[in-house]
Amino acid sequence: MTRITLGSAVLRGTVVTVLMASLMSTSALGAPPVDLSKWSPEYVRSIAGTQNFDTAADCAKVTPLDYKGRLTFWYQGVFEGDPDLLRQYYKDFFDTFRKTYPNIQLEEQALTYNDLLDKFRTALLGNAAPMAVRLQILGGTEFASKGYLEPLKPEDVGYSTDDFWPGAMKAVTWEGVPYGIPTNNETMAFIWNADIFKRAGLDPDKPPATWDDVVKYSKQIHDKLGIAGYGLVARKNAGNTPYRFMPQLWAYGGGVFDEATANPTYEEVELDSPQSKAALQASYDMYVRDKSVPVSALTNQQADNQPLFVAGQLGMMISHPSDYDVMLDLQKKATGTDKDKAQTVIDNMRYGLIPTGPDGKRAVVFGGSNIHILKPEYVEGGKVDEPAAKAIICMWTSPEWSLKMAYAGSNPGNLNGFKTKWMKERLDNIEFLDVTTSMLPYGIPFPALPQAPEIMNIIVPDMLQNALTGAMTVDQAADDAAKRVKELMGGL
Amino acid sequence: MTIVTGKAEARRTLQPGRSGVLRSIWEHRADYAYVLPAIAVMLIVIAYPIYYTIELSFFKTPPGLQLRDKTFIGFDNYTTILTSEVFWAVTWNTLIWTLGSTLISFVLGFATALALHRDFIGRGVLRATLIIPWVISAVAASYIWKWIYHSDFGIIGAVLVGLGLADRPPNFIDNVSTVLPSLIIVNIWREFPFAMIMMMAGLQTVPDQLLRAAKVDGANAWQRFWHVTFPHLRNVSVVTILLLAVANFNSFIIPWIMTGGGPSNASHIWITHIYELAFGRQRWGVASAYSVLLFLILMTLGYFYVRALSGNERKEGSS
Repeated sequence: MTRITLGSAVLRGTVVTVLMASLMSTSALGAPPVDLSKWSPEYVRSIAGTQNFDTAADCAKVTPLDYKGRLTFWYQGVFEGDPDLLRQYYKDFFDTFRKTYPNIQLEEQALTYNDLLDKFRTALLGNAAPMAVRLQILGGTEFASKGYLEPLKPEDVGYSTDDFWPGAMKAVTWEGVPYGIPTNNETMAFIWNADIFKRAGLDPDKPPATWDDVVKYSKQIHDKLGIAGYGLVARKNAGNTPYRFMPQLWAYGGGVFDEATANPTYEEVELDSPQSKAALQASYDMYVRDKSVPVSALTNQQADNQPLFVAGQLGMMISHPSDYDVMLDLQKKATGTDKDKAQTVIDNMRYGLIPTGPDGKRAVVFGGSNIHILKPEYVEGGKVDEPAAKAIICMWTSPEWSLKMAYAGSNPGNLNGFKTKWMKERLDNIEFLDVTTSMLPYGIPFPALPQAPEIMNIIVPDMLQNALTGAMTVDQAADDAAKRVKELMGGL
Repeated sequence: MTIVTGKAEARRTLQPGRSGVLRSIWEHRADYAYVLPAIAVMLIVIAYPIYYTIELSFFKTPPGLQLRDKTFIGFDNYTTILTSEVFWAVTWNTLIWTLGSTLISFVLGFATALALHRDFIGRGVLRATLIIPWVISAVAASYIWKWIYHSDFGIIGAVLVGLGLADRPPNFIDNVSTVLPSLIIVNIWREFPFAMIMMMAGLQTVPDQLLRAAKVDGANAWQRFWHVTFPHLRNVSVVTILLLAVANFNSFIIPWIMTGGGPSNASHIWITHIYELAFGRQRWGVASAYSVLLFLILMTLGYFYVRALSGNERKEGSS
């Protein structure tokens, strides 16, 4: 028989109680605010508008509203291809922040997607970075791996890690340490013009089911109507290119590494696999063989496809729901008969799932942005006002603003954003959100490696350009790109 | 009578133990004091970056590491550059870009200056109009021309297709064989007014009586140009060509904005290639080695420019 003394009984009881309480609170607090296993457009509609949030009150718990400080902040802002609606929300955010924290002197600077990484790298080399930065998902790992970023997790600004997409959190974690918080998550959709489909003899209500169909439809549209079929984008040093080519590459079963698998290791380079080459061949067929895509594809960004589409000169493209609002903005600016033509295009604008590869595989880039705090030694002046930085991060990643800042185009980083009244309003006002929501499960993040920006912004576009200009054959271009990735990973 | 000893006189008093350069510096110490702040600023903003670039060119700077984690590799970056195919392709592009832009801009500017030197109605308006490309910012010019060339919206393609001269709008800047000439045209459009202004200024210095005398002696228009006008413009021509050459060799905005060095690196010139190596790919060491080589070339051009200027000054002083 074991004798238990009163002291040890009390101790045991205390430990068990604390343990149980801890487990209970973990399950209560740690449970995701939305059930990702039920994810569907209907489910999203069912949870929209079910909860209220008070952003100022929530952020006051992180940084008091009367806090006096100074913050320098850079962010990937609105660019020429974004709708006016987004511009308004960005303006509203900074106005609200200044009203909520009147004693924080905020010096913000917006940079476009294509400029931000270069400028940020340069600033870091001169120890002249801002205190906080909102970077595209592609960039964070590079800067975290080099030790520029402070560890930062959702709990540091009053949220739970479970409030954010698990995939998005992986993209802000380097060697097991989180160093940023996702502000928004995005997947794109396939957009087509039903009127063009009809006139080209295609079913206006059915998007191409496979990428082989895209090639076929693009040729048919071009041959019948003399306009571009698919909006291929292959500009170098522009984020738009990998966002449109990688879904095609992954659908054919290819990859840079094994990033399209459930548990990627990023060990073997697969850009030169037969599947990757098949995807490159599809682009080659459209651009060189069929000449069915814009002639200007090699210098085009998505912003160049938008006017082509609204002018009725382009049949299909990949983009965000926000492109619908962009078309409305462009239509407002048109004059005379162009205005009516643009209206016809808008009336015939359709969104569908991105096509599959030959084996039924469907993929899209899981994109978005993350917000980070810099280490003081790399910041202009050598000091970081952490409470001020946490204040803006709390506000941007709140259910309210992570939803509003992604209003026209993508999804809130904070899953609670789906429960807000603004989400309900958004579902009623923004067309085609359902489609991009449906694409989320097919989202594949770019490899979370420090080398990812160079691979996606330079090596992959170079591969496309080498093949499409005839500087190399498809095989040679893919082999060359694979060799460059291997060299890069080898430290060259 | 009161004798006042001038300060200048006192300043020129020889100090025992000082000779040569030191003595000269001592004698002109007040002058040096005036330029000292400027020299200090120059050292900070020019000399240090040059020194640091030279230093970095001897280091390996892996893209996955911070710059402070660099390792010394001697001349390896220079060897890598000189043995790479890309270097020779980019150098060839740079030569075509520099020579093509410089010479054509100069010839066109000179011809326009000669035409505008004559008196005719509307000359002032024409002069002002022709200067417009030069005063437009390079960024704006790049976007304007990108749209002019645009294969799907561009006016050139539309005209060619409209006239039945092409089935499909041509790929001006999306084609490896036409991209560089297309960019050179834009560059010439932007900078020939500069050559024009320089040569117009030079033409003002040609003595009218010499031209009239040549005419009296029976010289025709070509002979007057070749034997009277051109010799007077030789120095201003050399200076103009050198200035254009330096600007073109170093030109970044037009190729970067219009094509980003593409397609397939066909429009990469040295400066855009260096930018991509450094800021896009973070090969700071290799990019620095490229920059050192570029610096040496530009210094050589600069030497000839200064020599040409000195020649001008000597000539003006002796006349």
